[in-house]
Amino acid sequence: MDVTQQEGKLLQIKSPSGTRLQQEARIGLLFLSPWLIGFVLLKALPIIAAFVFSLTNFKMLSPGDTKFIGLENYIHFFKDTDAGSSLFGSLGYFLLTVPLEMVVALALAAIFTSPRLKNKRTSRTLIFMTSIIPATSIFFIFIGSLEYAQRLIVQRFDLPPINGFGLLLPFMALWSIGPGFMIILGAMESVPNEIYEAARVDGAGPWARFVFITLPMISPAIFFTLVVNLTGAFGGAVLLDRGYILNFSLSPMESYINETMFRNGNLGYASTLAWATFAVMMTLTVLLFRSANRWVYFPEEDEVANV
Amino acid sequence: MFNRKSPRNSGVSTLTFRLWDFTGTALLNLFMFLFIIAYLSPLPFMIIAALTPSDQFLDANAPILPSARVKFNYDGKDLIVYKVPFESGERHLALYKSARQSSEFIDPENPDAGIITWQGSWRSLKAVYEPKPTLDNFKDFLGITQLPLLFKNTIIVAVISEIGVLFSSIAVAYGFSRFRIPGGKYLFFLLIATIMIPSNITLVPTYFLYSGHMLNWIGTWLPLIVPHFFGSAILIFLLRQNFKSIPRELDEAAMLDGAGPLRILISVILPQSIPVVTTVALLHFFYIWNETRLSSLYLGISPTLQMVSFGVQRSQSFFFTPEVLMVGALVVMVVPVVVLFISQRFFMQDMVVTQIEK
Repeated sequence: MDVTQQEGKLLQIKSPSGTRLQQEARIGLLFLSPWLIGFVLLKALPIIAAFVFSLTNFKMLSPGDTKFIGLENYIHFFKDTDAGSSLFGSLGYFLLTVPLEMVVALALAAIFTSPRLKNKRTSRTLIFMTSIIPATSIFFIFIGSLEYAQRLIVQRFDLPPINGFGLLLPFMALWSIGPGFMIILGAMESVPNEIYEAARVDGAGPWARFVFITLPMISPAIFFTLVVNLTGAFGGAVLLDRGYILNFSLSPMESYINETMFRNGNLGYASTLAWATFAVMMTLTVLLFRSANRWVYFPEEDEVANV
Repeated sequence: MFNRKSPRNSGVSTLTFRLWDFTGTALLNLFMFLFIIAYLSPLPFMIIAALTPSDQFLDANAPILPSARVKFNYDGKDLIVYKVPFESGERHLALYKSARQSSEFIDPENPDAGIITWQGSWRSLKAVYEPKPTLDNFKDFLGITQLPLLFKNTIIVAVISEIGVLFSSIAVAYGFSRFRIPGGKYLFFLLIATIMIPSNITLVPTYFLYSGHMLNWIGTWLPLIVPHFFGSAILIFLLRQNFKSIPRELDEAAMLDGAGPLRILISVILPQSIPVVTTVALLHFFYIWNETRLSSLYLGISPTLQMVSFGVQRSQSFFFTPEVLMVGALVVMVVPVVVLFISQRFFMQDMVVTQIEK
């Protein structure tokens, strides 16, 4: 007898009403209910509400004058050069930080797979540690260091004042490689050694082995890290949430939305901007998933069975 | 591999190979060592700066490490000790009376000898420093922020929302991993999709929900706590992946003993998942610890309810010196880092479990 049939039968004994599958589904849905309620109340309805807001001229200070204005906000969005440059700024942020993070994480993971490296666990924790430092601390360390640089170098040697805020971006990116590094390292360590041995016998050097074996074999991990980074860059949920830096957003689009929302109180247009960002992000995600079939190696079903 | 290449003169080559091997190992470890030093260099800098007296950087001749000027008490006055050059050599003397042309000094080692007059401008002299880390910056920091209150608030919010998020996320993950639900696959896809929803998009509508007349939650912790009682998509995902890896045979054995679904969750699934549940609990704790966005929306006007990250960031405009900023950075980061080091054994492992599932 099938295992699940057995399971169903037992459930059936307990309560005679309904078929066993219905019963199982009912209990399952009961367990899902907290999330289902939360999804409807805090995700689905707010998203729809945001879309409705985006079709109105809803202002924080004059909610009574709210009118349905159709697609006017969206037309305004396409004419708004600030919105355009902010959106491209956010894309640029993604294109700058993600490759930097990926390359450093890959290189470090490759070094970590070497059996010659000593004290791996300590090194790994130390590298991971920076990804857990709150954004508040990073920001304070950063502006504190800038202030020191100002006092120690600029004032002492009468140099023109430095504006180093642009460096915060790569600095933060380098200090967030932890999860990506761990995921890639885990993938690299699970590549079967026989493949490397076979390639070695065929005369493949270390570089060739890395490019033609390691990279394709760990492509699922790279893909996963890319999706996670994309989600994070556009304000989705992240595993290790280090919080925000108030009044200093790393993503230009986010700060533009915040400005429209809180400073100008233009909630209708802010919703339009949020929706537009969401649409761009979804497009990129879909493109990423579409491209996956070309470069991501998905093992056969029976190969995954023991994972 | 090596023997295959040069079977004949293997004696010599083994030596070269060993040398090469040793150099390679040494270089690799040296590289990693240097990389980690460079990678973490802002942290020791932060600690040193946090211990530095704030007037130290006003003097161009001050040493780099935290130090204080050496002072000498004479006649009830604190005199600053300078390095005074004489023909016979440099002497460390305390400045007693300063004048433009010549100044009067006291020898701290022999104050009874009386006043020593030195010709020259005292402003050209270098002060004597002694290494002396200070905790004054910490005192200043505590004066600016209500740290005990912020800590207390963070702990309260963390504990309450932790209970909510764990209960509901575990239940939902169990539901996703063990029950055949019609359309369950699509529901799970929906769950993954909610991870990707930018927080900006739901911010305005949920703000109106919480601030409306019905709930009126502005100035309370509720907007930061209640949503977690509906579970967190990313944590559900992590838990579900782990629950799925627990063999179903264990459930069935319990079921044959007459255990219901809830009993199975409590006595079969959870004991097997202590590491991942702890990881998830820690991830949520880090989230609450770092929370700034919702705090700024809902607690901006209630200073007595604020939590660590937001409270410290808010007082940033009162920090006059980079030294105090460094103290702030240190105070905010020390808890997550210590927690990471305590839990490193399984915490990082479980993060990796987040393997891809297409």
